[in-house]
Amino acid sequence: MLQKSRLVLRDGTTLDELIDVDMNEVSMRVMSDEELYAHEMERIFAKTWLLLAHETEIPNPGDFVMRDMAEDNVIVSRDRAGEIHVMLNVCPHRGMKVCLAEAGNAASHRCIYHGWAFKSDGSFLGAPVERERMHGDKRGKEELGLKKARVHVYGGLIFATWNYEGPTFEEFLGDTKFYFDQLFCRTDGGLEMLGPPQRFVLPCNWKIPGEQSGSDGFHTLTLHRSLMEGGIMGGTAESIYDNAPGMYGVDISCKQGHSLRCLEAALTFKMFSNMSFEGKTVDERLHMLPPPGITPELIPQLYKHLSPTQIEQLATCPPQVGGMFPNILFAFIFAPRTDGGASGALALHTYVPKGPNHVEFVNFIFAEKDAPEQVKRDMLQNSIQQTGTSGTIEQDDADTWPQIMRNARGVMGKGMTLKYQALTGHQKPEGWYGDGLIYPGFTKDDTQWNWWLAYRDLMSDA
Amino acid sequence: MTNYATAAVDKSAVMRGLTSKTRVPLGSEIYNRILETLYDEAAALDERRFDDWVAMLHPELIYTAPIRLTRTGPNRDRDVVRTMKHFDDDYNSILMRTGRLGKSAWAEDPPSRCRRFVTNVRVAETETPDDYEVVSYLFVERSRGDNWVNERLTAERRDLWRFADGGYKLVRREIIVDQSTLSMSNFAIFF
Repeated sequence: MLQKSRLVLRDGTTLDELIDVDMNEVSMRVMSDEELYAHEMERIFAKTWLLLAHETEIPNPGDFVMRDMAEDNVIVSRDRAGEIHVMLNVCPHRGMKVCLAEAGNAASHRCIYHGWAFKSDGSFLGAPVERERMHGDKRGKEELGLKKARVHVYGGLIFATWNYEGPTFEEFLGDTKFYFDQLFCRTDGGLEMLGPPQRFVLPCNWKIPGEQSGSDGFHTLTLHRSLMEGGIMGGTAESIYDNAPGMYGVDISCKQGHSLRCLEAALTFKMFSNMSFEGKTVDERLHMLPPPGITPELIPQLYKHLSPTQIEQLATCPPQVGGMFPNILFAFIFAPRTDGGASGALALHTYVPKGPNHVEFVNFIFAEKDAPEQVKRDMLQNSIQQTGTSGTIEQDDADTWPQIMRNARGVMGKGMTLKYQALTGHQKPEGWYGDGLIYPGFTKDDTQWNWWLAYRDLMSDA
Repeated sequence: MTNYATAAVDKSAVMRGLTSKTRVPLGSEIYNRILETLYDEAAALDERRFDDWVAMLHPELIYTAPIRLTRTGPNRDRDVVRTMKHFDDDYNSILMRTGRLGKSAWAEDPPSRCRRFVTNVRVAETETPDDYEVVSYLFVERSRGDNWVNERLTAERRDLWRFADGGYKLVRREIIVDQSTLSMSNFAIFF
């Protein structure tokens, strides 16, 4: 049984009234409540691991990019020794941004206001006119550096948290690490970011895209109907609701709130080809339908980085969409082209809170570093055409979320609930590859409900 | 990826619209016809006559919108980043997009009401006869549903228009948006 949440808002409403664990319903008030938002900033965004950047963005000493941990602007920097640091972009002197560029290279960052300077690892270098002691003598130089976050690099992805005492990154990933390794840690060169992220701001609370990133499968059928009309999900426009092979697979999640939708490769393959997977070995299947982003020449590398069980899953039922709590979505999808070019699109998004009523959509686009240049070129185009700013899939999401937001502000609308009552219940299939909470069959609401339980868990912990 | 942190001087990333020095003067016949074409194109898009718009596109079309990246120091003016784009399209993918708009594309159903204002049009000759370099400023006001706040976009467009079959066809367009973080919630409309 779940313990009662200790979070009580000023008007006496408890978190348990807003997230009804018996009914699997969430009050829409959570999407617009400013007090709850303030708690989220402290209990979630200042506490858990957040995705900021990728190593390939800052390959050389002194390279940096500017990013946001919720509303805190940070510098992600590689120091002279090659170590990666994440530091608050707030001058400890008078609060100015120390860095004004979104990307660059600098041996040191000098604040343009009064001239305090910091090394690429964030430590205090000095203030102008050293003999006049602008920094006084009440604090030692070691106290005057930029505020530093705790950093972890996973598969080249740079994560950071302000929580030095909290869970390790491995604990944060929990049982889903087995599955995420299949996406991020599978080749010699690893992933490469193909350019700086696309960024745009939507007028909605971060949790509206956030809860969808908990592997909302159902919305694909209706909101993304144009995928079916384009033949990309199998079936035809006329048979969308009766025959949607792209909806069957295995959903995975964990108590930390992360999730992955794994789709049957055999079904995917049938959509693109008349041949059958029947009687084929794992290696033959990998070559017939390499997982999104993997080219035939990269297949031998998979065996070096993944276990036989992980490879068998990649060949049989690869993860394709899902998310990491609280605000990451991944789409490692088949994106067939009509011109015979490389299929596949690899994109990660972060949904960065910008006040209770706005979210910044940050779209990171990848390819395998060792993939041929033309494959990278094709995959970049696939990702841009399907995801992010102009992506034909995500245009529809970006137009839907702000409408939900407006509803969450009405006196009556606020009292309505979001319903997660289509539940399969954890049932690990015989011979399934890894651990975690496993939901086989037609995609349901379980993983999204687990997202809310993870939210409830962090919000209850003051 | 190109390392934007340490990238060397990249002249192509400098904001400078017109490259040809052979100007087609304002008020000349060619200038007027091209200006008229730009107005017709804006009207076709505002009025959602996508077939009319596609008829103005050349099959060799390359249609892109690079991102902008705020930079300082020696790279401060080199802020047009072409490794990442908001649009990365050709003639066929534009047909895919316009085709989708005729079916279930909720991003534009109900449709936006848009005004595309085209100004500061400069035209120059290129080394290929019948190909003209056309640079214009674009200001778009976009009204969605009953939302009282319009979304807007400002951009420079660097085009190549080719005179063929009695009219001008768009061969290349690069949309240089001004924002590094866009305030428009999606690019489900064309620019």
